[in-house]
Parts: sequence; structure tokens; C-alpha cells
Amino acid sequence: MEIVVFAQQVVNGLANGMGYVLIAVGLTLVFGVLRIVNFAHGEFYMLGAYFTYYVTSLAGIDYLGALVIATVAVAAIGVFANQFFFRPLRKEHEFTILLSSLGLALLMANGAEYLFGADPKYVNTRYADETVDIGPLVVTQQRLLVIAVALVMIAGTYWFIRFTRMGKMMQATAQNPEGAALTGINTGFVHAYTFAFACGLAALSGALVGPTAMLTHTVGDWAVLKGFIVVVMGGLGSITGALFGGVLLGIAESLGGGYISLGFKEAIGYAIIILVLLWRPQGLFSVGSGRR
Amino acid sequence: MKGAPRIQALAAVAVLAVLPWLTGNAFLQHMMVLWAIYALLALSLNIIVGYLGELSFGHAAFFGIGAYTSALLAMQWGVPVWLGPFLAAVVAGAFGLVIGFVALRIVGPQFAILTLGFGAILHTVTNYWVDLTRGPMGISNIPPFSLGPIALDFTQARNMYYVALAFLVGGIYICHALMTSRRGRAFVAVRENPSLAASIGIDVFRTKLHGFVVATAISGAGGALYGHYLRVITPELMSLQYVAALIIMVIVGGKGTIVGPLIGALVYVSLLELLRAAGPLRLVVFAALLTACVIFLPGGLVSLWRRLRERRQAPEPSGAPA
Repeated sequence: MEIVVFAQQVVNGLANGMGYVLIAVGLTLVFGVLRIVNFAHGEFYMLGAYFTYYVTSLAGIDYLGALVIATVAVAAIGVFANQFFFRPLRKEHEFTILLSSLGLALLMANGAEYLFGADPKYVNTRYADETVDIGPLVVTQQRLLVIAVALVMIAGTYWFIRFTRMGKMMQATAQNPEGAALTGINTGFVHAYTFAFACGLAALSGALVGPTAMLTHTVGDWAVLKGFIVVVMGGLGSITGALFGGVLLGIAESLGGGYISLGFKEAIGYAIIILVLLWRPQGLFSVGSGRR
Repeated sequence: MKGAPRIQALAAVAVLAVLPWLTGNAFLQHMMVLWAIYALLALSLNIIVGYLGELSFGHAAFFGIGAYTSALLAMQWGVPVWLGPFLAAVVAGAFGLVIGFVALRIVGPQFAILTLGFGAILHTVTNYWVDLTRGPMGISNIPPFSLGPIALDFTQARNMYYVALAFLVGGIYICHALMTSRRGRAFVAVRENPSLAASIGIDVFRTKLHGFVVATAISGAGGALYGHYLRVITPELMSLQYVAALIIMVIVGGKGTIVGPLIGALVYVSLLELLRAAGPLRLVVFAALLTACVIFLPGGLVSLWRRLRERRQAPEPSGAPA
């Protein structure tokens, strides 16, 4: 019996972890290509969850449709955020950019409280209460959906960066912005594109994971902290690292919460980043490049 | 300090000392106390942000440690309240020493994330260690400072103001003395170019650690003042909201100066009250203010004054200030 409980915790952790991965991939892309540590990244997760809520409850559109609408809408907002908050500071010190992202995060979180109210919301999906039995394990369809969509998106992102023209332009910009510009790449466009793409991924994560918990305007803080923990574990700028880091964090939290205590669960992630940053500041999976 | 600056400083202290007598309004006096406490806290964060050039996202944790230390010492062990702020400074500084010793090996955005992690752990522990801290309920009925039979809580704001002001002036003096010393010049050298600083024999790590410990100790003392004044503290003091508030004060006022954090705290405290009717929109305004300052006025509000003076001295339009 004991092994079943353990396996159940691992599967639940895996679902949470895949949600973290979607957040972290965007965070790591934005760092890799734009050199921005984006403190506001979690707020796009929050927006994704809120948009899904409003599209399903007010417009009455099916959950899967709402998922797509929320992702695209938040990506569009990402273009504006980049234009107004990061583009003017492109040449500034990283300190200034970090502060600007903090300002944006506060603006979005408090703006959400103003617009959407402080009362918690619950995103309804028809998958949240339906379960699937896999041998002795019981998994909700929502969790399976998170895992499946996340896997598809990560494989897609990987393929996109590797093989498409835009992806190659992103790689070039990440490696050397001046060199990329010299070869005729519009780096400003690549930056905007990458930022919007990352925001879309965060929104998708919010739309997928949002229904598993209560939704408030402060959820972005939570999301960005998880994102940071994962990205620090995996190494800033590494997508593979984000994948492993996210899964590892999800499972570690699930086991810690199940076997030790729920309060302790929140502290696990912070303890992990402290240990990782001190032991291997470049991350567990980093190949060592990518530092300025 | 010699000559004119010394006279200016004494005049400023005199003005601040007279201030609460200009109004009989207890609420305004209450605001003055809050200003003095926040100004002390902003001043302490400014040592890290402005002088050392690192962004700490965990500073509110030391404020909380100071508040809890002093409150618990007074309530559990009957330590005299007047000793509270000093002991709180020692304890917060000790935490700062350990955390700084670990965290200051990392620089830049990673340092910010690391301090965020330490701050979040301290917040979580305070929230869950119910036996000691009473958890999310917080601690209430903290004994106030007292002068004989008079208790200096918010009903005695005018008297409490002088206590807070004394600590603030002490904090200002520490900052001033630090920055005019050899060590202070080392701070700036390390901020501007760590490698170059190391090449002329400055121990970068120890210099930063020194600044970090002083900053955390001062914020601990500020936390103690806060707790004994408002008489209620909760783990929320360590939350991101307070971290953001302190950063807003330093950046909006002007980092790397002594007057800047004082102005930033003034702006923060007054806007907090003036916009109380605006509800949630109030925090949106703060966020907008922070962002606008970062993008358009990197030197903060103090730099406006400097710009104005430079323009008056140099008739032809000068380039952007360095």
C-alpha cells in the first residue's frame, strides 16, 4: 500500500511540476535572449488564469477554447509590457531592469486587485472532477491535461528554437546581439517576439494550473517564485534545465508536503535555491556558458 | 562635517524637533512617527541598494526579526523596553551576518533572488512557528516605551516622535560617518567596479558584508520601534509587500544619498494616507511611481533638486547628468 501512496504523490508532483516548467521555460527564454530577470513573469501567469476564468464564466466559451484565447491575449499584452517597461532600458544596468520588472509586477498585481476584486475566484473546468484510474493510481483529468499540454508545448518550443527561422534568430540574438544585428536580424523584433512567447507560456500555465487552486491577485508572486526556483536550479537560460528543475521541484514539494508537513512544503523550494546558488551558481544543468 | 554642512544639519534637526508642535492634530503627529520609523528603515536599505549597489529582496525580514525580537524579549523575559531596539539590532545584525556571509558570494540578479529566498524562509518560519511567534495571529499588547508613568504608544505620538527621531538621527549619523570614512569610500569603489576595487587591495567580500550587517542591524532597530509603537506585529511585516514598500522609498527618494530615503519615506507615508480612499488603486499608484522613477528619474526625487541647481549654475544647457 505504501508504494501506491508514494507513487500517487509522485504523479501529483509531476503534474504540479509540469505547470512550473511552463512558467520557467518562459522565464529562462527571456533571460537568455533579452538578458532580463523578469520579476513580473508570474503576473502573466495570473492574467492567464483570470482571463480563462472570465472567458469561461462570462462569455460562456468552452474551457479549451478559453485556454487558447487567454494564451494569445496575454501574449499580446506581453508585447506592450516589453515595449513600455523594458525596451527603453535596453542599454541600462541589470539592476535598473530588475527594478523596472518589480514595478511592472506590482503594477499588474495591484491593478488586478483593482479590476478583478480581492475575492478569490474558482475556474471551472469539466476536467477537474473527472478522474482516470491508472492501475491503483487515481489522477484527475485536469492533471493529465496539464502534463500532456506541457509536454507538447515543451517539445514544440524545443523544435521551434532549433529548426525554425525565428528560433535561429532567437539563438543568434541570445549569443551576440550586436553580431545578430550586423547580419540583418531585427533584434528589437526578436526581443518582442520572445517576450510575447514567454508571456503566452506563462498564461497557458495559469490557465491550466489555475483550476486546481483558488485564484487571487497575489498568485503571480507565488508563480514567479516557483519560476525563479526552477530556473535557478536548472541554470538561467537553459530550457532543458527548466524541464528537469520543474519536475524535480514539483515532486520534491509533493513528497515533502505528503511526508513531512504542508508548511514545510513551501520552504523546500527556497532551501533548494539557496543550496544550488551556493554550490553551483550557474545551475545544475548549465553547460557553463551564458554568463556575461 | 565642518562649517556650513554642520550648520545645515543642526538646523534640519532643529526644524524636525519643532515640527510636532506646529500641529495639535494627533493624527498628523502619528504620521510623523511613522515617517521617522520608515525613514530609518529606508536609510538602512539604502546602504545595500545605494552604497553597495546590490538589490536585496529580503530586507523586510530583518525589520520583522527586529520587531519580534524586541517584543518577545520584553513580553517573555521582561527585558526593559528601552533596551529592545539595541538588542533587536544585535539579533537582526547577527542574522544579517550569517545570511550575508552566505549570500554575498553571489552578485547581481542572483543575489536578489537569493535574498528573496532567505526572506521568504524567514517569513515562512515566522508564520508556522506558532509556539514562539503565535503564527499568523501575530503578537498584540506589546508593551510600549514608557517615561515614568507615561506610555509612549500612539496615544502619545508627540513624545514617541522624539524617540523615533533620536533613532533616525542616530541612523543618519551612522550613514554619514560610514560614508565619509575609508570604509565608505570602499563601498562606492566596490559598487562602481569590484575588480578594480579588489586590485587596489579592497577586500570586496568583507566590505560588502560590513555594509550588509550595518544595514540589517539598523533595520532591526527600526522594527523594534515599530512594534513597541503600534503594539501589534504580524508575520506580514516580512512579506513581499513590505519589501516592495522599502524599495519604493529608496528608489523614489533617490538611492545612494542620505536625504533621498528620508524624502522617499515622506512620499510613501503621505501618499499612503492621502490615497486611503482610493482603496486598491493606491498600490497601483505606488507601483506606477516606482516604475516612472526607474525609467524617467533614475536618481529619484533628490536628483530633481540637483538638476535644478546645476541648471542655475551653468547657463548653457548641460548634457544628461552622470
